[in-house]
Amino acid sequence: MASENKLPETTFLRSDVMSLAQFYIPSEISKQTIGALGELGLVQFRDLNKDVNAFQRTFVSDIRHYDEVSRQIRFLKSQIEREDIKIAKAEATGATSSPKELEDLEQKISETEKVVIELNENQRTLDKRYLELTEMRHVIKVTDEFFESSNVKDIQENNLTSESTTGLLKEENNAADLEAGKKSTVSFVAGVIPRTKINSFERLLWRMLRGNLYMKNAEIEEPIKDPETNELVEKNVFIVFVHGQVLLNKIKKLCESCGATVYPVSESAEQRNEESIEVLARIEDLDQVLNNTRDTRMNKLRDIAKNIDAWNTVVRKEKAIYHVMNLLKTDKNSMIAEGWVPTNKIPEIQQRIREAAESTGSNVTPIMNEVTYKSVPPTYNVTNKFTKCFQSIVDSYGVANYREINPALYTIITFPFLFAVMFGDLGHGVLMFLAALAMVLFEKKLANFKNEIFDMVFSGRYVILLMGLFSIFTGLVYNDCFSKPLSIFNTKNFDFVATSDPFEEEERGTFVNQVGNHISGNVYAFGLDPAWVSAENKLLFQNSYKMKLSVVLGVIHMLFGTIISFFNYTHRKSISSILLVFIPELLYMGSIFGYLAFCIVYKWCTDWSGANPPSLMNMLINMFLSPGSVNEEEKLYNGQGIIQLVLLLIAVVSIPILLLGKPIAQKIANKKTVEELPIENEVVAISERDYKKPEWSFADAFINQAVHTIEYCLSGISHTASYLRLWALSLAHGQLSEVLWDMLLNNVLKMDLNVVIKGIALFLIIGAWLGLTVAILLIMEGLSAFLHALRLHWVEFNSKFYKGEGYKFVPFSFRKILKKEEN
Amino acid sequence: MGVRVLLIVLAVIFVLSVLALLFTPKGPNQAVIRTSIVLTLACCYLMWAITYMCQMNPLISPERVERIKNN
Repeated sequence: MASENKLPETTFLRSDVMSLAQFYIPSEISKQTIGALGELGLVQFRDLNKDVNAFQRTFVSDIRHYDEVSRQIRFLKSQIEREDIKIAKAEATGATSSPKELEDLEQKISETEKVVIELNENQRTLDKRYLELTEMRHVIKVTDEFFESSNVKDIQENNLTSESTTGLLKEENNAADLEAGKKSTVSFVAGVIPRTKINSFERLLWRMLRGNLYMKNAEIEEPIKDPETNELVEKNVFIVFVHGQVLLNKIKKLCESCGATVYPVSESAEQRNEESIEVLARIEDLDQVLNNTRDTRMNKLRDIAKNIDAWNTVVRKEKAIYHVMNLLKTDKNSMIAEGWVPTNKIPEIQQRIREAAESTGSNVTPIMNEVTYKSVPPTYNVTNKFTKCFQSIVDSYGVANYREINPALYTIITFPFLFAVMFGDLGHGVLMFLAALAMVLFEKKLANFKNEIFDMVFSGRYVILLMGLFSIFTGLVYNDCFSKPLSIFNTKNFDFVATSDPFEEEERGTFVNQVGNHISGNVYAFGLDPAWVSAENKLLFQNSYKMKLSVVLGVIHMLFGTIISFFNYTHRKSISSILLVFIPELLYMGSIFGYLAFCIVYKWCTDWSGANPPSLMNMLINMFLSPGSVNEEEKLYNGQGIIQLVLLLIAVVSIPILLLGKPIAQKIANKKTVEELPIENEVVAISERDYKKPEWSFADAFINQAVHTIEYCLSGISHTASYLRLWALSLAHGQLSEVLWDMLLNNVLKMDLNVVIKGIALFLIIGAWLGLTVAILLIMEGLSAFLHALRLHWVEFNSKFYKGEGYKFVPFSFRKILKKEEN
Repeated sequence: MGVRVLLIVLAVIFVLSVLALLFTPKGPNQAVIRTSIVLTLACCYLMWAITYMCQMNPLISPERVERIKNN
């Protein structure tokens, strides 16, 4: 083991070290090998046939074949889903199936499809027959009723009367027509038509026959199921009386075009009676057959439902394997594959392909070699269920360059912390923490719950958990629990003296205005003093406190980001970047904004009693406008003028260094390096053959650096200002929760009411208050604080050190392919 | 008194951070655990310290209306 090189470790700080691997796979076991790699899911194959058109690749016909099988499976699935049968989940199957098994499976699938289609066809025919019989029954019934009623005789005797019962059109019938009609026999057509079409049908009939008809229709009470669409349709029975065969045929044609069905019904009552009996008997028979067919079909579908997921898995895998095999190069009796693999997983991959070869019983084994490469490998950050969400927060900004420091590592803490600065409230923090805790504890049960919005919240449960925890902490610091202060420490830090005479307020008591004089040296040990939180002028104090808090936190956050860039440069061993980029950046940021943060802290720590405290805002402006001199009245400390002058000079000098240093250093370095000649014997990977070194030009480098410099220096100001959102949001949050408390709870608490009524009122109002707290303060305010924290990380923090121009490692993995299909 | 408290707590935080760095078990999650602990300590210290400092020498005094007698 000692001879083996030590494998690089996986850490969350940087993406994994990758290698380019070349596989020589004997053709006869290529499918099994690729299958084994798909189960493992650690190789990202590179395309070795870039010059071959997608339609001309070797295994296109196999993929087409499996597309057809997939279609059959989809058909069966849709049939099963239509019957609301539950599809059983297949257990993960291990090894890839042998060609014999596959062939059997395909045959089985296509046979099953045929059987199901046949059954469907059968059922449809039977359904149609059944429909016809039912409609026939209704027609006979209605005709019966109609003939029995009295006016039929009249019609038959007088032929068509002048009064039409269609009721739609009232037109005087032509008397002559009637006279002529008297002699001819009247015949009739009976049938069924959808209710929605009855009106237009009537109108058409009338127009076609110029009113020479008698029509009657009756509604069928229960809707009838259409076998084609499986929908329930409301239908009517109609009977039309006309003269002569010619008109009769005309009507039949019209019926066809209107979607009505005509049924032959006899005129004589006895015949009708016989028909009716016959129809009823046939319906009964058909019912039995229909039930049998339905049962057979359902049983068949249930059988299929048990297996279909397993079949689908096998087919999906086969298709995926052929897709990968299209990327490989064929070379005599073997296939060559190339792909990125995590270096520390190479032994595992080697063992797996050896096992796969052994299991086929073949005496040849695939060979795996590491080859040199020049192009940039993919970024592979190994995550677990805790770090996954933080990684996706970072990845949605940009995937890290290969081996670049992964900001997700710091985001785990700084993101919930900055969120909590805006969301500081003990009560809200506890509620949020409990909600997230429930999601974490019942993780397994909830994972199966499918709902788009819930999924989003659920995938961020660990982020929310930490956000809740930090909100509890910042809530304690702000001394804020549902907008009420807690007095944890009972220290007396202020000496309150009355400033006004006692005054009486109606029915409530006697009050007095007081002002608290600070007892020098006494400071509330943790968080804001309750004396401040319940003071009349608390906003004045909180504004100044939260504003300075956000500036100090922001400057530290940005300096931290700049310092991280140092470790990116050392990792690349780029001394020129450290000297010409990192140091000027740090000096610029430190000498202006770091100094501002220092002054804020210095002012806090100085006892200003008796002296006039200087305004920091003016100080910063004057530092630029009148460098080197400070007004005696606005002096913060001795020697301030000189120090500020030096800091300003440092900042000003570092800008041109930042702007010009790196491009010039690169130009010098470029002159020195002689063009490397390729070594003759080196194994060059196939996928690396068309690699071209990115060209370097001074103009490009200079423009890039200029953009970076302008962005860094200007954004120093705008980014610092951007952190003021911490102040604005936390203030808004505090105010909103205070308003909610005062408007709802406090009003009821103050009311002078009967105990019972007050209890009921309190109960109701607490419900309303809690509902609004969750809806507005937790969900809406939480969302807005989340977005602001997101922005502070993406823009203000990441821009200091993070390139984010890499591409993700996407290994060939069956698990991922199958999961993707599910969603 | 004031500044001394800040420094004492800072020292405690520093010691805790060093302990966390030393005693985090080796493994793939070592970096995550170490960074999380140290960053949490740093963030919480900053928040507390800033709040503490701003109250050491307040420039304005709290005003309030106090009830001295109930009806």
